[in-house]
Amino acid sequence: MADFLSAYSIQTWLESCPQGYLMETEYGHKAGEAEPELLLTNEVLREETIRSTVQLVVGERCALAASSGLINAAPDEGSKRFLATQTLDEARHVEVFTHRLYDLGVRKNELETVIKQYANPNLVKFAEILLEKVDRKDFIAGVVGQNIVLEGMAFSVFEMLHALSQQMNPKFAHTLSGTIADERRHVGFGENRIGSLIKEHPEKKAEIEGMQRDMSYFMLATFADAFRNNRAAAEFDQLNVGRARADYQGVDLSTMAPEAMEDVLADTVLKEFKTRLGRIGLEYQTPTRP
Amino acid sequence: MSGRSTPAPPTDIHDLDPQQFLEEVHSFDFWFEAVEGYLSGLTHGHKPDTPEAVLGDVERDQLITVLCNYCVGETAALEGASGLIAIAPNRLAKVFLSTQVVDEGRHLEVFLHRLRDLGVADPDSEVERRASRSLQLFKRRLLELVAGKDWEAAIFAQNVILESLEFAVFHSHAQTADPITREVLSGVVKDERRHIGFGENELGRRLRVSPHIRSRIGQVKKELDHLVLETLEETMRHLGSPRDEHERLGRAYLESVERLGFP
Repeated sequence: MADFLSAYSIQTWLESCPQGYLMETEYGHKAGEAEPELLLTNEVLREETIRSTVQLVVGERCALAASSGLINAAPDEGSKRFLATQTLDEARHVEVFTHRLYDLGVRKNELETVIKQYANPNLVKFAEILLEKVDRKDFIAGVVGQNIVLEGMAFSVFEMLHALSQQMNPKFAHTLSGTIADERRHVGFGENRIGSLIKEHPEKKAEIEGMQRDMSYFMLATFADAFRNNRAAAEFDQLNVGRARADYQGVDLSTMAPEAMEDVLADTVLKEFKTRLGRIGLEYQTPTRP
Repeated sequence: MSGRSTPAPPTDIHDLDPQQFLEEVHSFDFWFEAVEGYLSGLTHGHKPDTPEAVLGDVERDQLITVLCNYCVGETAALEGASGLIAIAPNRLAKVFLSTQVVDEGRHLEVFLHRLRDLGVADPDSEVERRASRSLQLFKRRLLELVAGKDWEAAIFAQNVILESLEFAVFHSHAQTADPITREVLSGVVKDERRHIGFGENELGRRLRVSPHIRSRIGQVKKELDHLVLETLEETMRHLGSPRDEHERLGRAYLESVERLGFP
């Protein structure tokens, strides 16, 4: 375990993350980059962008609370130190997505009200399930919930948003590139560290699998709300603004209806869960589709 | 990091209005610019080509004991700072504490690495074996305050008392340490200065608007002072420091806490 954890040391993190892929960035993107004019001037698009960014802030606040809370529950120093780097990664994500809200015109004194107004209740329930495990200092369930389920979901969502933004919003695409690189590291730690702990505590399997099923349900419900009630696609059509090609999981998202995009995202995340849970010795539980 | 530019920086950060000042100094970018200045090019807290000094057996053994206790202190700081994130009253405090968490994790890592350099095969069990009782008691009390979600008392114990203790000890030790240990300690001391600044600023503001919390914090100080002074005494003895240095450090610690009005 010591050798595996040395790949997750703070020294390695310093060299690869802040001194590596975050060099020359400002709040996650290149200096001087701005949101596209259309997003700032069209009220429907601006509101939908604020709504989707709020979900990212809510998810990252949950990740920050979970990763910092898990430090005190970690059974070894190496895991504590990895989680220290993850804590700062998550705080950075909170910061960069919060800044995006400011860039979209949210005033600083309105921030919490805007977050409360737009936070998806299903995403809040998703977060509550995880934070309940963290509060109980349940390290194994906490890491599976945080580094496999939450981070696995975030990774796929960020990749989809990145594909959609690459041509149309380079600023946001650059912000997402850094967060994707962070999430990849977090998911890797979860898989590597938890496998051995699950073997030592087989009695915990059923409870953790139940947590995965419940979290997955609320994740799918969040996706359903986000895609089915999203007015952005219709607004783009009405404005007759062509959407740039966006390749994701072998499909071109620019040609798809929101419901079809929801299916692609949900299938991608659930498939990832199945693979990753299998690697650590857990059986994937199929959630009800909302 | 030069490219981590901020738009039209003011000539002096202190000219910013209070909220903007906090947005600036409690950010990831501010943290990274601060640490990059002194951590760039270092490996495990020191320059890769700094020569290892030849230490006698007794000197080496004393250094190991001291470093083991630094690890106890840094573990307390890591667990304390991470627990404080959950009870921090706002996003900026949470982001600052996240930078502190990674600082404390780094300190723990560099001290454990130094122990390995000195030939300690299993630093974790060595730390357990050599840990000072007073420091362990301090750690337990600090984590109780954090678990009790008492923000003011916990931030006082963590960012004023513990950080002031560490600052005083590390700064003094760096004056006489071997070259590698000195470089490691110098980087750590720079971080501690930032943490103490946050604690003083945060508590200072709270004490101004809610003076009634002063008596509660005074109680915490009374409770922790003797553990701090015992730890100082013990560490200085292991370092072979003269008696007057013990007393000077004890005074320096008490003075730093007095700045907040706790005699």
